[in-house]
Amino acid sequence: MMKKIISLLLVLFITITIQAQQSPGKDHSKLKVDCSTCHICDVPTKSDPCLIQCPREKITTVYQKPEQTPELITIDQLSDRYGPVYFSHKIHAQMSEMSGGCETCHHHNTSGPILKCSTCHSSTRKRDNVSVPDLKAAYHRQCMDCHREWSHDNGCNTCHTLKKDLKNGKQDPNLQKKYAGKNHPVVLEPTKLVYETNSDKGKIVTFYHDDHTKKFGLKCTTCHKQESCTKCHDVNRKDNKQPIKVITKRTFEEQHKNCISCHKKTENCSKCHSNKVLEPFDHAKKTGWPLNKYHINLSCVKCHGSAQPYKKVDNKCLSCHKSWFDGKFKHSVTGLQLDEIHIELSCDDCHSDNNFAVKPTCSSCHDDYSYPKQKPGKVIGKK
Amino acid sequence: MSGKSRRDFLKKSALVGAGIAGLSTSSAKAGPKNILSEDRMGVLVDTTVCIGCRQCEWACKEAHDLPAGDLESYKNREVFDNMRRPDHTALTVVNEYSPGKSSNLPVDVKVQCMHCDHPACVSACIVGAFTKHENGAVTWDTDMCIGCRYCMAACPFQIPAFEYDKALNPKIMKCDFCYDRTKEGKLPACVSICPVEALTYGTRTELVKIARERIKKDPDRYVDHIYGEYEVGGTSWMYLTSKDFAELDFPKLGNNPAPGVSESIQHGIFAYFVPPVSLYALLGGIMWMTKRRKELDEEEKL
Repeated sequence: MMKKIISLLLVLFITITIQAQQSPGKDHSKLKVDCSTCHICDVPTKSDPCLIQCPREKITTVYQKPEQTPELITIDQLSDRYGPVYFSHKIHAQMSEMSGGCETCHHHNTSGPILKCSTCHSSTRKRDNVSVPDLKAAYHRQCMDCHREWSHDNGCNTCHTLKKDLKNGKQDPNLQKKYAGKNHPVVLEPTKLVYETNSDKGKIVTFYHDDHTKKFGLKCTTCHKQESCTKCHDVNRKDNKQPIKVITKRTFEEQHKNCISCHKKTENCSKCHSNKVLEPFDHAKKTGWPLNKYHINLSCVKCHGSAQPYKKVDNKCLSCHKSWFDGKFKHSVTGLQLDEIHIELSCDDCHSDNNFAVKPTCSSCHDDYSYPKQKPGKVIGKK
Repeated sequence: MSGKSRRDFLKKSALVGAGIAGLSTSSAKAGPKNILSEDRMGVLVDTTVCIGCRQCEWACKEAHDLPAGDLESYKNREVFDNMRRPDHTALTVVNEYSPGKSSNLPVDVKVQCMHCDHPACVSACIVGAFTKHENGAVTWDTDMCIGCRYCMAACPFQIPAFEYDKALNPKIMKCDFCYDRTKEGKLPACVSICPVEALTYGTRTELVKIARERIKKDPDRYVDHIYGEYEVGGTSWMYLTSKDFAELDFPKLGNNPAPGVSESIQHGIFAYFVPPVSLYALLGGIMWMTKRRKELDEEEKL
């Protein structure tokens, strides 16, 4: 049912988008969209709106998953001294996930189809409107910021091959194969990061990265918005065993921006700032309920909901496991397989008031039986 | 270039020397040039974009018939270990500095003649070999140049270079804003080759507008200052950077045109005939003293 609703909504959305593109409505010139996004000429009129031909039947938004994007793009429009450039689009899209995302390069695709760079960026340097870089510059500027940062040189040859070095004037076909099916390696997550700050409320901040991602369920992009490649690729990178010294000119707000979205500003500083390295979050210490091996692997939002502040829950199984009722609960997971008679009973026949934390009682049926002296089945041991 | 030669100059000065007061060399020049025309061209150097590939250095040498070498050899980044200045072998050079704000990348700064709106070299040149053109370029006429190097002393950016190693006919050398290329409708060589268009060529008015727009759009990236917009009364080449201009060896200059300084010194010295009058007074004094001593000596002899 849910799936049907979602697909219906999707169809509706797409139809609206197409409609919107066909007729953006009255006064659309006041929208904060560059006219050249849709119009080819400077003064579009009603009779000649000079619209850019868009592949309307195939609307691609910029919010595609990197894996769905083209693997390789050949850039040969400006080929001059060098041969064509094979741009490994998919890997780059994956890399951009922790920085600006698709919009880093496709910066004028508000919605609608992906525009060609050459729509706005002229392929000739000598031109009238020099307020936007020409095509060659636009390409290079996209590449160079990251490539310079992690390779520490300009390395033209990383992407380019001189025409005179090309065999028969053609790019090495193996180069194309090089990118086929290639993915950016999985980003390794740190577990614990220790920061040394200059705060007078406690110099040491211990940040348990995996707590935040695995338990608290934060997405990478919640914090990592404009990440630079050098965070992983810098050859001079120091290891993280020593506390990372925080020398920042950023304001208090900027520095705490990522934390404050969840940790309320009014919260005690000492929650993070201390004079020693802090222990990770411990459910037993904080709540008095040590989590068993099933619960410990869950992210907080599974029980507490994603809304902030977290929803308080008690330790009654049925508060969460609402479907674990008569016959539906596989009792064998507790290490005790119920026999044919007992499996037919209601939970609260033995676990009075559905309280599973205390010893079960046999007295409702059996007079002098007691658990664990007598057992309602076979002990098979916990899996 | 402008067709003037040293002979013309000597002729002119002889005429002036022999002529009557009131007749000046300026009367020989054509109508006044509109050197501050709205259409004068400029270059906006965005050092936050520059990658320090030094291809501009190569292109400049090629365009000016200087030995350029192989373009591939310019990838060598060891040259950045030392600070360099433009000289007679390279009319433009790129230097590299430590990263500025909001980036881990080094800052690369191209250095060449700034082509001032009120050029001190033009005003300092005693033979009038320098010319400020309507398109913004400041050029000089090698044939007229007498090698006095006043232009080098006057330039607030210390740009004009001199072929010190040549014993015969040494020349003054500097960036000429590719005057010959732009005359043909081409772009300056460095602008043309730049792979990232760190150098934007356009009318100065528009470049100032673009520069302001870039700072406004990305205030974290840029220092809020366009170097050359007002410095020494404005220059054709203007710069945007991510760090303090003083840290990038840009001279801290006032907004008054540089010729004002050199002219006021020169005019100050020569004002009201002070030097000739004082020289003659001094010589007269010496004459009078020696004459008097002689008379005294003769008196003693008697």
